[in-house]
Amino acid sequence: MGKGLRLIFRVVAFLAALSLSSAYADAPSPDELVRKLAAEMTSAVRSDPDLQNPGSLKISDFVQKNIVPRFDFDRITQIAMGRNWAKANPTEQKQIIAEFSKLLTRTYSNAIASLKDLDVEVKSTRVLTPNTDVTVKTQMIGRPQPVAIDYSLINGAGGWRVYDVTVEGISLVAAYRDEFSGLVSQSGVAGLIDALKTKNGG
Amino acid sequence: MKRFLIPLGLLALIAPGLAFAAPMKKAKPVLTPLPIEEREEPAPPNDVFESVNRVTFAFNDGIDAVLINPLVTVWNTVIPSFVRTGVGNFFNNLDDIYVGANHVLQGNGARAAMDFQRVVVNSTIGIVGLVDVGAKMGINKVDGDFGQTLGVWGIPSGPYLILPLIGPSTVRETAGRGGRILTDPRTYMDRVPSYALMGLEYVQIRADSKANEGLIAASSLDRYVFVRNLYLQKRALMVKSGRETLNSSQAAK
Repeated sequence: MGKGLRLIFRVVAFLAALSLSSAYADAPSPDELVRKLAAEMTSAVRSDPDLQNPGSLKISDFVQKNIVPRFDFDRITQIAMGRNWAKANPTEQKQIIAEFSKLLTRTYSNAIASLKDLDVEVKSTRVLTPNTDVTVKTQMIGRPQPVAIDYSLINGAGGWRVYDVTVEGISLVAAYRDEFSGLVSQSGVAGLIDALKTKNGG
Repeated sequence: MKRFLIPLGLLALIAPGLAFAAPMKKAKPVLTPLPIEEREEPAPPNDVFESVNRVTFAFNDGIDAVLINPLVTVWNTVIPSFVRTGVGNFFNNLDDIYVGANHVLQGNGARAAMDFQRVVVNSTIGIVGLVDVGAKMGINKVDGDFGQTLGVWGIPSGPYLILPLIGPSTVRETAGRGGRILTDPRTYMDRVPSYALMGLEYVQIRADSKANEGLIAASSLDRYVFVRNLYLQKRALMVKSGRETLNSSQAAK
């Protein structure tokens, strides 16, 4: 198991790559987008020592500005919640989205530092719904073993945005599903929100 | 009846497209994705032993805190990195023999040939496995074990288990591990070198996964559940891909 998990640690490295997509307002295809952004992002990290230093304030700033907008946290949260999503009222839903996106951002931000030694190759794209829902399959190279990372993107109001990341076949969003459903069945939606808030430090 | 349904189905495909036909500034989706609530909900994990498992999980955490973590720290600080890599490669090379054997049992001859090619190259040019020459030649190591083989053969995983010291497993994977231990030469060696080699491999594996363990602790709300989910996803995927390879090779015959 160790190997699969180790890979997750590097996920954000490439997620970072998706951040510059605003520069491509009329982006051609999601795989082209991913390829170009990966190249730009790795060079950004390589040329800025502050971005290679985990824990630096510049990283969180960078992530907020460049990466967060490329993620569809509404959809991510809804998938992680599964059928429990309907149990939360609109206010609670907003809170869950806010806390969960905070948790994900905080946890994975520092991994962008590792982009320094990595490169991303786009392998193929699987189209689930044309022009709407695609999975871009990539390989991260620069480690002893190449790591397969797939990005599921959806084309919505904000353009193409990521709603799941799969590392060597393990879905990061699905990883939260059992935790969420466990907490909701134990202590309700309010209990889940409390747990998320506690995890985020208040 | 069927003839009637087909145009109806086509209409359903076109209708969302029409909704977006109005001129828009940006390219908008032509078709709407499957609504989230209609996506496949995975079955809840089979964890009938959860209460016992949680105790073992906590026990393992305790052993980690007093014994394993200090060992890993010593390992990472005292042992130079090329030695650590060499030790990892050495055990990986031994593991490749099992990986290859299991790929044979899974009917995946093509991959087994690659696994054995790795063993040959790494054991010779790679100095008894200390250097991963195979990877440099473009043949990367893959996972494969007897638990996976049992799964490919159609044996269900059974309930989730936490094993003392080892961690996440299932009834099937534990049986697979048993098979591995029975065929491991170390089982039949003298006790001292046998334990020394097993201990070394254990520390190496644990040191290797430390970074992940930290990340899991930071990102999870209930670490037990998070680890269980990741483990079961990983095992299910290994069995699924093994089965797909078997089915496609049978179909080709």
